[in-house]
Amino acid sequence: MKKRKYFSANPYSNEIGKDREYYARHLYFPASTIFSDVRVKSMKRRTNRQRPIGELLAEPSYASDAVLSDKLDDIETEIRKIFDKCADLVVRRLMVSADVPVMVVYLKALIDEGMWEQGLLMPLMNLEIENTQDPVPFFARFKATLPSSNPPKNTSNMQEAVRLIVHGGIVLFFESRKQALSFHIDDQLQRQLEEPMTEAVIRGPRVGFIEKITVNMTLLRQLIRTPRLKLERMTVGTITDTEIVVAYIENLAPPAVIEKVKKRLSAISLDSVMGTGYLEEMICDTPYTPFPLIKTTERPDAVAGSLIEGKVAVFVNGTPMVMIMPITFWYGFQSVEDYYLNFIVASMLRWLRFLFALFAFTMPSIYVAITTFHQEMIPTSLALSLAAAREIVPFPAMVETLIMEATFEALREAGVRLPRAVGQTISIVGALVIGQAAVQAGIISAPIIIVVSLTGIASFLIPQTAMSQAISLFRFPLVLCAGMFGLYGMSAGLIAMLIHLASLHSLGMPYLWPIAPFNRKGTLDVLFRAPWRFLHKRQQYLLQKRELENP
Amino acid sequence: MRIDRKAHLIFVLIVGLVFVAGCWDRREMDEIALVMASGVDITDDGQLELSVQIALPTAIPGTLQTGGTDKKPVQVISVKGRAGLEVFALLQQQLSRQLFLGHRAVIVFGEKFAKAGIDQALDVLIRMPDSRYNSYVLTSYGTTAKELLNAPYRMEVIPAIGMKNIEAAKYSVAVKVDEFISDLSTVGKMPVTGAARLFEDAAGDKTFQIDKAAVYRGNKLAGFLSGKYLKGYKLMSGQAKGMKIAVQVEPVREKTKGIVTVEILRAKTKVLTHWEKDTPRVTVSFEATSRALANESSLDLSKANHVRRLETELTDKLRETISDMIAKTQREYRSDILGFGREFHIQHAKEWKKLKGQWDELYPEIPVAVAAEMKIERIGRIQAPGPLSKEEVQ
Repeated sequence: MKKRKYFSANPYSNEIGKDREYYARHLYFPASTIFSDVRVKSMKRRTNRQRPIGELLAEPSYASDAVLSDKLDDIETEIRKIFDKCADLVVRRLMVSADVPVMVVYLKALIDEGMWEQGLLMPLMNLEIENTQDPVPFFARFKATLPSSNPPKNTSNMQEAVRLIVHGGIVLFFESRKQALSFHIDDQLQRQLEEPMTEAVIRGPRVGFIEKITVNMTLLRQLIRTPRLKLERMTVGTITDTEIVVAYIENLAPPAVIEKVKKRLSAISLDSVMGTGYLEEMICDTPYTPFPLIKTTERPDAVAGSLIEGKVAVFVNGTPMVMIMPITFWYGFQSVEDYYLNFIVASMLRWLRFLFALFAFTMPSIYVAITTFHQEMIPTSLALSLAAAREIVPFPAMVETLIMEATFEALREAGVRLPRAVGQTISIVGALVIGQAAVQAGIISAPIIIVVSLTGIASFLIPQTAMSQAISLFRFPLVLCAGMFGLYGMSAGLIAMLIHLASLHSLGMPYLWPIAPFNRKGTLDVLFRAPWRFLHKRQQYLLQKRELENP
Repeated sequence: MRIDRKAHLIFVLIVGLVFVAGCWDRREMDEIALVMASGVDITDDGQLELSVQIALPTAIPGTLQTGGTDKKPVQVISVKGRAGLEVFALLQQQLSRQLFLGHRAVIVFGEKFAKAGIDQALDVLIRMPDSRYNSYVLTSYGTTAKELLNAPYRMEVIPAIGMKNIEAAKYSVAVKVDEFISDLSTVGKMPVTGAARLFEDAAGDKTFQIDKAAVYRGNKLAGFLSGKYLKGYKLMSGQAKGMKIAVQVEPVREKTKGIVTVEILRAKTKVLTHWEKDTPRVTVSFEATSRALANESSLDLSKANHVRRLETELTDKLRETISDMIAKTQREYRSDILGFGREFHIQHAKEWKKLKGQWDELYPEIPVAVAAEMKIERIGRIQAPGPLSKEEVQ
């Protein structure tokens, strides 16, 4: 085995020798397997490796598993040590019920000051508990008599207490009790509920998820009012300790899938999770594909609809995007709107999307293949005008196409980054002006502009951005194939593509289902949007379940 | 590691292959000379003269270049040489762009060349992969292919497209390369092509017209069919639909000419071959339905007896037209253009073996009976002839 040398990328370590260990810990597989040949097919093994979250949290030296100390002074010392140089730490000593010394610890930045004062401090100071010296029933009576709407949480070790503090809790330590109580008084800081920018609909609800997971759960609960809607809480990220929620409807989602999702999520050991993208790559079956194997949406109705279809959704705190799995290839071409529109119109729209997705994928390569290899296939009059348009152009058609496609993608990317008001103008005007000027200067031929702009429009027709990006990406190798070998090369490229698609799975679900493997009833919601009276979502789920359980 | 290395190697090989093997037959649209029509002639000293009409895309008025250019949209180049493909190579030498035959609309055989035999041009037609089978074949009449290709045509930007459109609309006899070659190689069927000639239009410009059919005997041009003979051939060769036939149903009177014109709606031809007493015999039947287009007689076509009279006249005329045509091909051209031999082959396969070798000699002697039938299906919106008063209508 070849020895691999690491440069010191770890800012926390000054010793080069320790890097290897550092990588081993942070790249979620043991040092011995890094860059070894086993890794090639160790995808599944890796995600299935279970490591309890406690173990991951135990990494920093400050959070020990130790039971809380008797003495408030000791606890304070330890807390102050742990939260050293944290300007927002508040440690306050109180005397509750006249003779119980209590130490309150919280991070000022995280909690709602008003609620703390009105909802906890006031009732706490007015609290009167008899026989405070009896330790056992003390907490029960304390909880029972405290007039606060906020249910407290018991904890007896420091690690847990610290965790509660950083999650926005107010932790009460009691003298000589070895126990602490935590009240979750989270800051209600959040943005307004708005219509999702990326998935606007004409007919349908106008609300979208926000960055706060509790609000997102509320939005979902409001749509599905059944106790069978399960929301299982987990955390990921050794440093960020990000809250995630696995949502599914009991008896609808296949247990195998739920288990798989939970198992893969708990196996993740990333430092941080800032969005769904982090998790998506970690839990999908094949990370090495540009095609989305997990759908992300910021629409509550889309999530609710998917859950009823028997899917599993994963909410991540800090992002308005919610992951839905397992999905198939065709999800990339579906929009929630399809279910709100008339079914004939919706079916037609789906076909339009399929057609234009094909255009987006193949148009440039068909143009290149036909004009450089198969001129006899072009109708004579078109051939003459194409030849006239190409007359003074210096580049071969393939180079021309690649240049213009790259320019188009650049303009699109620039449009995303620019401030919203100028973005659109710049991208459209840029495309037109650059296109026009390039044609007039004789650098690019006019038909290329038509092909590229039609391709661009076609790629915007695909509702799922991830799918649109995947298709845009594969356009380039296909143009190369077409430029090298004509239609022959193009069909070879398309076949390779099909093989790749057919090999993909989304949590065990074949990616091209229900077309391959074929399922007649499954096509009702893929090739068409069947009328609701025929389109029983339950049936869809049952089919899918069978597919998943008999792989 | 081994798998990684293998994967790398395969990747590198594939990428290498693409760049090594790819692109070898790539040609850009602006690197090819689009041949729109080609013509073959024979010079007086027996050399082959190949002419091509090449489209010049920049000279074609489009939206990009408003206002006409003075350039001609086509260029005709001629080269003399010995053999077909050698001339082609000579032609290529004159051009900065690669000759591209994929869009060739027509191929013209010069009259003299066709009379001498078209063998030399055949290889260019059949063997060259560039050459497609869907160009139309024409034979020049009273002129050379070169002059025909040089003739301007006002209706279309490119004259060859004009020829192609005339052929495609079947105003004349339309034969494509594949059909021509197939007829040429079949014993018992002789090829026919459209025949084009030069004529002066009203403005005095020379242009072309396709108004005849060229009859081949084997690989040599035997003659041309025109007028009623051409009509007879078109009736029998499945190109009867839409054909207009005028017939004299009554003598010319003071107000009427006595002519009724009909248009054929549907036509069915059948060739029946017989083998009796060791002699071949052919019966040809022609059935058609038509509609009355113009009635310049005094007959009221809503009356059944008048329609029957018209039908009889038409039938007679059709029979005469067809048998005249067959007689001409038998006596004058001795060329079996209707494919009686092929019908014999199909209907009397055993006897055909005996006939096959001497068919070309036998054909002129074969007795042919012609049966025709014409039905009037529609008589138009008015029954009586338009210009006559009620009393004058019969």
